[in-house]
Amino acid sequence: MNSITLKGIGWLTKEGYGCIRSGLRQRFEPGETAHMLLKKGIFSHPFKNFGRLDTLSRMTAYAVALALQDAGIEYMPGKKQDIGIIGTNSEGSLQSDLEYFEDYVNSGRTLSRGNLFIYTLPSSPVGESAIHFGLLGPLLYAAGEGNSLAPLLDNAVEMLLSGETPIVLVGTAEEHEGLYFVLDNASGPDRPLLCDIGVARTITDSDHDITAMVQKFSFVEAGKA
Amino acid sequence: MNPVVVSADMITPYGLGVNACWKGLLSGETAISPVTRFITTSFQSNVAGTISGMSYHGRESLVMQMLGSLFRAGGVVIPEDAKLVLATTKGEIDFLEMSVLHKTNDASKSAIRFLLDQVVELTGARGGGLVVSAACTSSAAAAARAAAMIRNGHADCVLVVACDSVTEFIYSGFSSLMALDKAPARPFDKSRAGLSVGEAAAFALLMSPERAAHEKRPVLGELAGWGLSDDANHMTGPSRESEGLILAITKALKSAGCTIDDIGVIAAHGTGTMYNDAMEMRAFRAVFKNSIRPVYSLKGGIGHTMGAAGLVEMIIALQALRKTLVPPTVNMREPDDDARGWVSSGPQPIARGTMALVTNAGFSGVNTALVIKS
Repeated sequence: MNSITLKGIGWLTKEGYGCIRSGLRQRFEPGETAHMLLKKGIFSHPFKNFGRLDTLSRMTAYAVALALQDAGIEYMPGKKQDIGIIGTNSEGSLQSDLEYFEDYVNSGRTLSRGNLFIYTLPSSPVGESAIHFGLLGPLLYAAGEGNSLAPLLDNAVEMLLSGETPIVLVGTAEEHEGLYFVLDNASGPDRPLLCDIGVARTITDSDHDITAMVQKFSFVEAGKA
Repeated sequence: MNPVVVSADMITPYGLGVNACWKGLLSGETAISPVTRFITTSFQSNVAGTISGMSYHGRESLVMQMLGSLFRAGGVVIPEDAKLVLATTKGEIDFLEMSVLHKTNDASKSAIRFLLDQVVELTGARGGGLVVSAACTSSAAAAARAAAMIRNGHADCVLVVACDSVTEFIYSGFSSLMALDKAPARPFDKSRAGLSVGEAAAFALLMSPERAAHEKRPVLGELAGWGLSDDANHMTGPSRESEGLILAITKALKSAGCTIDDIGVIAAHGTGTMYNDAMEMRAFRAVFKNSIRPVYSLKGGIGHTMGAAGLVEMIIALQALRKTLVPPTVNMREPDDDARGWVSSGPQPIARGTMALVTNAGFSGVNTALVIKS
């Protein structure tokens, strides 16, 4: 029996965004999208060059900001933290690949844009979050067979059990939605937590839909009261 | 319970097999040559480490042709219950090129999840598959994930497969970032001016020592420790303080339960760019307290094989330990001041029983360090 637990969850969909432990649940006003979260002050410190980021990097950053907030992990200026991040999505960097290569072909196959090429790595969205939030731990994109988060959670658990890092962010981000978990391996009866990894796995194994997972994790949190 | 490597092979610009790469490196001759696969006149360079005899924009992707050479020849016995960890940065990106340029393929087939399914079929490793992508640390990170599964008792047999290819997509991208040397890459050289793109595919079959013994598998070496980190600094440039790589190395040594005194050789990432090589030497000097270790890079010989680099370098490091010989850093003529005494253009002996440190770094500031012993 390990002591791996979920410390927090941040999520966003077409309809709204929120955190599980803190109970934050905000619906978008008509006409609003997730991309208006920047103006809502979702980041505790200015996000350098946010306008340069591709869509998946932005969605990842929003979900990570909410997850860290839910876990009570604050950004400390000038002090990076040993936190890992494992991200996934359904298509890797396919859209950014197309954007980069079509731009290159349309320019006559002579000039290409480095700022588009950067996002042709599946790991770039988590890379942007690592830079902004000062995450020094392991960083990778991973995807299993199917769209399940299970293999990512397994890898996060292994990182924690191996002592590779004390905290790991695990999640997914697509064009219109994102979900990130904060996992840790700390012990102690009084530390705040959402649920243990066994409960989390049961939920993520049974549902791949973000709204459904949020609903179930919210029930878990409510059940503790 | 550290995982052991029971089988490994590779295809590189030197040819098919670990021995072909090893002999090529020891010859001191580079396998980097002019690119004939696509027109390079608009780019910063016209050379790359490519594998001859492959069909570009044909029915099969470049990486599947490479992997086919490794697995279809026979002689490789992969247990059906083996888990699979596949590492790549761009996988079958040539399919996307075909879609955009000629409308002859479906761009969505280039998504790396599709490649995972094909590699499961090709290798017969049906114990569960995972694709890992972490820029140019991809396959070192994949080896670390496989090792963690075995050490934590979640698996006893994991196949790590790595591949990336030289395509117009990738070449134009590195050129746009002004990262390419006009000449074949010269890692750690005073006059180095950038990297050379390369391609390779490789695999390593990892097992628990118990399973390897039970199946009477030959043990090539042990993956004793690993450390992964991120600079959290810049998307394309390495940290000027090297703190990320220092952290990865420190974690790897701790994971291996060893000290700097146990490390006899360092297989560096050594891309040939000014910033990467300087960042690595700063990290090595800091960790090893300026106590010199032989450092080498393969990238003057085969180019930067991107997502495959870490695994190719791990396998060659195992070979170096077994042969007690440090391969030369091909194309390095005059070492940069900070690498003088550490890097050599000729082979050097290694003490028997010593361990090797294998380091990699990549975009987003990712770093990996592996500790291996034979």
